[in-house]
Amino acid sequence: MNGQIRTAYARNPDLEAAVQACHLQLGMAVPDLVITFAGGKHVGQAVLSTLRSAFPAAKLVGGSAAGVISTHGFGYTGFEIGLIAFQGSDVTPDIVSTHALLDSEAAAGRALGAAVRAHSADGAVVFVMFDSVASVAPLRLHPGSQIMAGFHEGLAGRKLHVIGGGLLTDINLSDGWVIDANEICKHAATALIFPSGIRAETVIFHGCRPASSFLEITAIEGAEVLELNGEPALAVVEKMLGLTLGTTSGQQLSLVATLGQKQGDPFAPYDENNYVNRLILHANPDRGSLTLFEPDFETGARVQIMSRDNILMLESVEKGVAELQGRSAGASNLLGLYIDCAGRASVMSGAETEEAALVVECLAPEFPFMGFYSGVEIAPFAGSHSRPLDWTGVLTILQHAP
Amino acid sequence: MEETPRSPAQLERELAFYRSEVDQLGARMLRLQEEQSRAAREARRSKIVARLVRDAYQIVHQDIDASQIGGLILTLVADTAFCDHAMFLRKDEAFPDRLIVEHAHVGETDAMVELSMPPEFLFTATGYEAEPAADIFTCLIGLPFILWAYDAESGRGLLLGKQIESNIHRPYDARDREIVEVTLTVYIDVLLRKNAEAELRFAKKAAEDASNARSRFLANLSHELRSPLNTIIGFSSFLLDRGARAPTPDQREEFTRQIQSAGRSLLSLANDILDFSSLGHARLQLRRDWVPVNQLLTGVLRALAADISARDIQVKMQVIAPELQANIDYDRFRQILANLIGNAVKFTRCGGRIDIGADLLAEGGLEILIRDNGIGIRREDLSRVLEPFVQAEQGPETLPRGAGLGLPIAKQLLEAHDGMLRIESTYGEGTTVTLDLPRGNARLTRSEGPSGIAIPPNKATPEAQRHSRAGTS
Repeated sequence: MNGQIRTAYARNPDLEAAVQACHLQLGMAVPDLVITFAGGKHVGQAVLSTLRSAFPAAKLVGGSAAGVISTHGFGYTGFEIGLIAFQGSDVTPDIVSTHALLDSEAAAGRALGAAVRAHSADGAVVFVMFDSVASVAPLRLHPGSQIMAGFHEGLAGRKLHVIGGGLLTDINLSDGWVIDANEICKHAATALIFPSGIRAETVIFHGCRPASSFLEITAIEGAEVLELNGEPALAVVEKMLGLTLGTTSGQQLSLVATLGQKQGDPFAPYDENNYVNRLILHANPDRGSLTLFEPDFETGARVQIMSRDNILMLESVEKGVAELQGRSAGASNLLGLYIDCAGRASVMSGAETEEAALVVECLAPEFPFMGFYSGVEIAPFAGSHSRPLDWTGVLTILQHAP
Repeated sequence: MEETPRSPAQLERELAFYRSEVDQLGARMLRLQEEQSRAAREARRSKIVARLVRDAYQIVHQDIDASQIGGLILTLVADTAFCDHAMFLRKDEAFPDRLIVEHAHVGETDAMVELSMPPEFLFTATGYEAEPAADIFTCLIGLPFILWAYDAESGRGLLLGKQIESNIHRPYDARDREIVEVTLTVYIDVLLRKNAEAELRFAKKAAEDASNARSRFLANLSHELRSPLNTIIGFSSFLLDRGARAPTPDQREEFTRQIQSAGRSLLSLANDILDFSSLGHARLQLRRDWVPVNQLLTGVLRALAADISARDIQVKMQVIAPELQANIDYDRFRQILANLIGNAVKFTRCGGRIDIGADLLAEGGLEILIRDNGIGIRREDLSRVLEPFVQAEQGPETLPRGAGLGLPIAKQLLEAHDGMLRIESTYGEGTTVTLDLPRGNARLTRSEGPSGIAIPPNKATPEAQRHSRAGTS
């Protein structure tokens, strides 16, 4: 293999200076493809034109990111730029995309999945990105669960290693945009299909622990949970927490608790890997309901109120990185890619230690590494196909296939 | 002892007990977790202040200009305190009721607000009734939630703003006063230090320049001073001789002429030195007026006609429209041209050539060009010839020396006109000096004939009378 993958990171309100610094770090004369993660205080069109000037011959993909994580530094000020550059057909992924999320996330996901199927073979690694925020007022997200449900339908049985993330302009879910086909797009999803000579090892970091007995969802409309155990869902959760959610417009997004659905045997011993957690996007006092990040829970589902535990989050990182290193020992590693829920940043979680810094410290990669703060994380879950997750960190190492 | 089998009702009761205990313990854990997160977020305020102070004071040690400090500290505070925009404002010295934006984290800095009594501190938050002045600041920064602190003594204020309140950008409150006040204080402190450093550097450089000038003065001008003095002393001694060595009437006339010439040289040298000295110590007050460029240049050439003629130099002045006028101090600008054209005459070989031209530039700029085919200046001397008392290397040629003040004086006078002096030269081939006046300082007027000339009559007329032999060709 002759291909190269390199990464670069800079933080500067001066966009041209940031891109120039990254260009120098890359030291790659003519990359074939550049994935960009740009802080949301940089203007999308300006990012695109600056990148185009710096890399006139490269295909450009990526989009906004609530923050960027690298071995040279990380941050979520909105002025970060993170680049992954690929050179050579043996490492450079193919690109397929859809711009139709607004019409129907499921249909767009299906179309994307079908396109990926046409460009891939079983076992291929696929990296999916889409803009998380569908509308700002009222706040509505593009549900990753519907995109991925459609995506898997479109794959029609193709077995792939799919990872991905939702793109945000900032941690406050203000907006998000995608770079695709030489334009800045909304309501778009991009899938990067890596060559067959590349495989991936992925680990998911968690950090939530059940804080209640099982509760049955007795009424739900999309992502809005109306009732738990036959009572208004908001009242149930507020009673548990002993505090009122959604009292000010500024605190709609609550990270105090999540709703978690345990997969497999409900009475099996606790294992963080068995839980799918959904963050509470906002509380609706008028309807006594809770709106979750994703609409993939159904009536009759048994969920638990989960405590977001910062200590557990950091322990999960240490344990997960060690496990991944064990699995990757002796492999020829090409790229570390970290997709980190924006809520795990210490400014949001209140954690003493920056979780992203711990990931970099524990992994100590001797290969290119790049990460970004996302709205949702997509990863292979519980040995099954990939699905969107909340409040997780997804760490993937791309490797040469043996 | 065998355990008695429990009835379904008992099991149900036990299950309800454990479920209740789990839920209560879970709720307790959640509340503790939330309290810990809240405490951590509160602790961030202290950490932010500590980090701001630490990082901002590191700027003191950076080799940067005072004007860059504001931008650096705003970047620091925006990164650390997670706001969307930040700006430093200062009281406008000319308009005390006005605050102008001195530095902005992003965007332009040409904004200002009218506010006679800026409050020491204010903030805006949802559900909190802010002071009336808050509206002024939210409009200025274009964001609804702001933090403001003002230091009346220095007349400087810091404004932070954010778009939304949420977990990351929790609502501002009175406890944030520390962040904004400490940042402002650090900025003012670092600025004062940097300004003091700059003043010290300036004073040191002025002292070094003065010392260098003194050294050059002593090294280069001893000849210029001694030669005429020796002439005066020597010839006056001859004049005092009596008896057989007494000078003849013709000799007396010649010796007296030599003494007079040497005296004039000394006077000219003394004038240059005093002129240069006064330019360096006081801001020059110009009396600007619209002056016809053609007449100005012609006047200068007439004044130099004798030297031009003595050295048989051909001076070619391009045709300059009589309507072309420059907004200048007549006396001072004439001095500039006299020095520069005089230099061209002085350093051009006998029989050489000088070209002079003037052009009106876009938006009323003016360019005057003086090109000679004289001895030129060595490349290594080009940067030095504008320093006082510097004599460029002349090579084997024997040409008149000077005080080395003509170019420095011309440069200073031109800069007082907001103009710029450029010198291009090829050693052995000649020198081109270009004077640029910025836009708005030249114009073309309707031809009004001689009566439209703006030269004061007491300046123009005697000159024209004294130098009736025009030196132009």
